[in-house]
Amino acid sequence: MTSNPSDIETTVHPMQDFADSVAEVVGGVAEILHDTVKVTLANDRWVSAHSVARDELDLVFFSWLSAIDWANEVEAGDALKDEVEERLELLSTVGDLTEGKRVTFSTTLDSGLPTVATLVDVYAGANWHEREAAEMFGIEFIGHPNPTKIYLPDGFIGNPLRKSYPLLSREVKPWPGTVDVEGMPEGPSTENPEA
Amino acid sequence: MTVDQDAIRHLSEVQVSIELETEDMTLNIGPQHPSTHGVLRLVARVDGERCYDVKPVIGYMHRGYEKLSEVRTYPQITALINRIDWVSGYANEIPFIVAAEKLMEVEVPERAQYIRLILTEMARISSHLIFMASYPLELGAATPLFFALRERERVLDLLEGVTGGRFHPNFNRIGGVKPNYGSGPTTRKTPQDLPAGFLAATGDAMDQVLGVCDEIETLVAGNEIILARTKGIGILPPEVAAAYGVSGPNLRASGVNFDLRKVENYLPYDHFDFDVVVGENGDCWDRWWVRLQEIREAAKIIRQAIDGIPPSGPLQAKVPKIIKVPKGETYVRAENPKGEMGYYLVSDGGTGPYRLKIRSASFSNLTILPWILEGALVPDIIAVMGSLDFVLGDVDR
Repeated sequence: MTSNPSDIETTVHPMQDFADSVAEVVGGVAEILHDTVKVTLANDRWVSAHSVARDELDLVFFSWLSAIDWANEVEAGDALKDEVEERLELLSTVGDLTEGKRVTFSTTLDSGLPTVATLVDVYAGANWHEREAAEMFGIEFIGHPNPTKIYLPDGFIGNPLRKSYPLLSREVKPWPGTVDVEGMPEGPSTENPEA
Repeated sequence: MTVDQDAIRHLSEVQVSIELETEDMTLNIGPQHPSTHGVLRLVARVDGERCYDVKPVIGYMHRGYEKLSEVRTYPQITALINRIDWVSGYANEIPFIVAAEKLMEVEVPERAQYIRLILTEMARISSHLIFMASYPLELGAATPLFFALRERERVLDLLEGVTGGRFHPNFNRIGGVKPNYGSGPTTRKTPQDLPAGFLAATGDAMDQVLGVCDEIETLVAGNEIILARTKGIGILPPEVAAAYGVSGPNLRASGVNFDLRKVENYLPYDHFDFDVVVGENGDCWDRWWVRLQEIREAAKIIRQAIDGIPPSGPLQAKVPKIIKVPKGETYVRAENPKGEMGYYLVSDGGTGPYRLKIRSASFSNLTILPWILEGALVPDIIAVMGSLDFVLGDVDR
């Protein structure tokens, strides 16, 4: 199942050739994260890289598109342990339909006013995924044919998957489940020494 | 028993081509229409018997699992993601657990992997049997429902015996599986294992499932009305399916030989001999047929797994009592009954994920609706929608 860590250090990862070739063709930087090839692109190459991936690398299958909010201040969940540069990371995954190759593309968007060109003209399936990312993270997809809310009601204010957005149900009633893990604020820690 | 497709098409063409002053009408289907498998609303512009500009309206069941995952611990999340595609709750857990195990670099014992695989395939059978029950029903044939649900009950009983849950097993642990409390031989060394006789009972159940497949095939494939309503209806070309991210049986029905069980290594499928079932025309009929064959292939895999499972051994790798997943990110996808289900897991070394992107199959499968229903006849909406086999919990997450 999981590859032996010593193999990764001493030998070349079996996906390395593929990762390098993708990075070269689309013009990005490749890394392999636990068997996932991630290629980081400049913001303005987002659409062209996808279209090259589809046409030249035969990555015709559009899997998903979403984002990560890298933030230092969080309202819900645990904060990051190390300080990061505040940004939105936009991710998409495309794959082929023969050997099971897949690439996750990544680009950095400004947290304040994130804009990026739409992928709908390259992969029609990006339509709904972009609508979801738009309402959840406040990303504007320029040229999107139907920039309306998909899950949230019309008129909803806020971007729920931003780290600055509180989990309202938890504000009302704190989740008791955390006592298993963190210990109550005033009580002794229940942390297991084995951990 | 052949159906003169041309005659049927001709008849409908004649009806709509009569020059009449027509006015477009907006037709609202749902959100509580029985054939929508949940709460899906369709808004279509209808010109006579043909519909255009179909707009699916979703989100009635959005539960915000991606946000919730950020405040839950890893063991708690499996209880949430069971509820994404509730028809095959067990299969939802696998890619998430495998993603966490990948970041933790945990080696899962072989026996646990076999149990996971057997139960995943049982989830596939129960999900496809629901389709075998509901799809003919939507087209007016009620009988297959009784055959399919009878066998599904048998499979669910077995699942319940192992996991304690029919729909929401919450059975996988990071590093292994945890059978129902009190099940199995109660020796000190293996206090919890598969219930006694589970493998034999599963083997018997597979015989019954294969039997019901034949019965359903006779009932449906010999039904002239169903043939007329599904053959050549809702044709989905492979390149369109790929661009929209349509996956699973819907994609294979369009003639694409692609199955994540063959190309990804999340479970030891490479130990087994099974075929990827591929359709020819990508119409509603092929989507039904591919799922029927997949039940047979799943039964084939389960039988091999019963023969090949290590007779004893640990079910759980050694993991810390408090699960902390090391910093890192990865995407793990699996071939679920509905299609590609995957999780992009971002961990910062804490007890819960920093971000968990859930890629659910039905969401992408549903994006095809406006394309596939453009210009379709109104009664075909039900035939096409039903053939895509989505579950709204899997769409709305």
